[in-house]
Amino acid sequence: MNKLLEFKNIKYFYQTKESEICALENVSFDIDENSFTSLVGPSGCGKTTILSLIAGLLKPSSGEILLQGGAIEKNDNRIGYMFQRDHLFEWRTIWQNIILGLELTKQKKDPQKLAFAEDLLKKYDLYNFKNKKPRQLSGGMRQRAALIRTLVLEPTLLLLDEPFSALDYQTRMKVCDDVYEIIKSEKKTALLVTHDISEAISMSDKIVVLSKRPSSVKDIINLSLEGNSPLEKREDKSFGSYFESIWRKLV
Amino acid sequence: MKNKNINFSKARKLYLKRVRNDKIFVIFMQIALFVVFLGLWELLSQTKVIDPFFFSSPSRIVTTIITLAKEGNLWINIWTSLYETIIGFILATSIGFAIAVILWWSEKTRRIIEPYLIILNSLPKIALGPMIIFWVGSGTSATIVMCILICVIITTISMLNAFISCDNDKILLMKSMHAKKYQIFFKLILPNALPDFVTALKINVGMSWVGTIMGEYLSSKAGLGYLINYGSQLLKLDIVMSSIVILCVLASGMYFLVLPLEKRYKK
Repeated sequence: MNKLLEFKNIKYFYQTKESEICALENVSFDIDENSFTSLVGPSGCGKTTILSLIAGLLKPSSGEILLQGGAIEKNDNRIGYMFQRDHLFEWRTIWQNIILGLELTKQKKDPQKLAFAEDLLKKYDLYNFKNKKPRQLSGGMRQRAALIRTLVLEPTLLLLDEPFSALDYQTRMKVCDDVYEIIKSEKKTALLVTHDISEAISMSDKIVVLSKRPSSVKDIINLSLEGNSPLEKREDKSFGSYFESIWRKLV
Repeated sequence: MKNKNINFSKARKLYLKRVRNDKIFVIFMQIALFVVFLGLWELLSQTKVIDPFFFSSPSRIVTTIITLAKEGNLWINIWTSLYETIIGFILATSIGFAIAVILWWSEKTRRIIEPYLIILNSLPKIALGPMIIFWVGSGTSATIVMCILICVIITTISMLNAFISCDNDKILLMKSMHAKKYQIFFKLILPNALPDFVTALKINVGMSWVGTIMGEYLSSKAGLGYLINYGSQLLKLDIVMSSIVILCVLASGMYFLVLPLEKRYKK
């Protein structure tokens, strides 16, 4: 499989009034094309910092981040970011929210892009809600709309920053399945940050386990579970042993 | 007709009836309170329980307003105050808003200017009255400047707070979609702050009337503030009370013009 992202020997320091803090200490991992990778680690270990570095929102203190073999440029449209909360703008309709990225990148009048956005809405059962305001949608639908907003820009790599953590348990399981299905059917590569070990195991092909701050890679686990969806994967016999193994590494 | 409740359950019909009755009761009580207040005021004044010379009465106020209208003094004074208030309101809101945008745009400028804003906000603007007359002369211009001084700082502070209270993750989301700073402002910060802008407008309606009356007290030859000053100096307290009543009506009118905006942009 081709490597899509190479995160090589990254160190990251951030400055506070009191001192300089080392957030990442020589963190290295790769992400293969069309794979699903998760980052797990203790709170405050720098998982979101890693996403911000990949998205180009922060610059590493040392090390190299390569996407498709080349450096990540400023405003790199190969990367899409999905946040903890959906952050749909309440004053915009679902359609206006979804094409926000197209507006910002001056592609609002591109008929192909608009047709693609409309196709995504139809495919993922939101077309009938395109003229509704976000408050008229359920939590799960809102999160689907947020993912479509990211996909409309056709990124190669999707960064998912705990996108399910604000949802209640039942909705979370359903949205987890939906998002997984969308990412797989759109043939995207995803990097998920999560606190939830079960969620990471059920969605990922690979899990990168991070230590506490200053963060380094404790282990990289390649998973092979039977099942076509996260819910099915949870029923695999090895699920429990993976959970046990990651849990031990974190505590 | 909308909302035909033929198919509604009995409980639903009862609920709707209770909501409607509550609404009617509140409106009725509001009107009744006003009528009782006027009636009591008139009665106490007619029976000399309160001195009509000092406290006036609704009938005396109506008579005074009619007399002022016949003499031709009423409309010129109303128009002067209204004109000064509207100009002051528009200028103060625009200037305050523009300063808030500049301070949002440049964080360094904000940090430099912030203490001055706080000092200027706590300064009683009436203290600047004599200086204003020296700077811009007396009359309408002095009144408009007073109006602006009263509203501009509070508009700046409230709009700036609205701008900087925008969720940081939303800004990050815009940046992750390659938004430029002006796009972040026009597509996120500004629409997000619209409810606060409407609140600032509501506050400014009242504050600009305060500015106008203060300005007219200071130096003017026309306006409701001038009329109040004139009435009190000549001990014509009916004129003072009539001017206050007209002021109430005009300020409420302006407030009700802003109200539909609040309903539209309510958070």
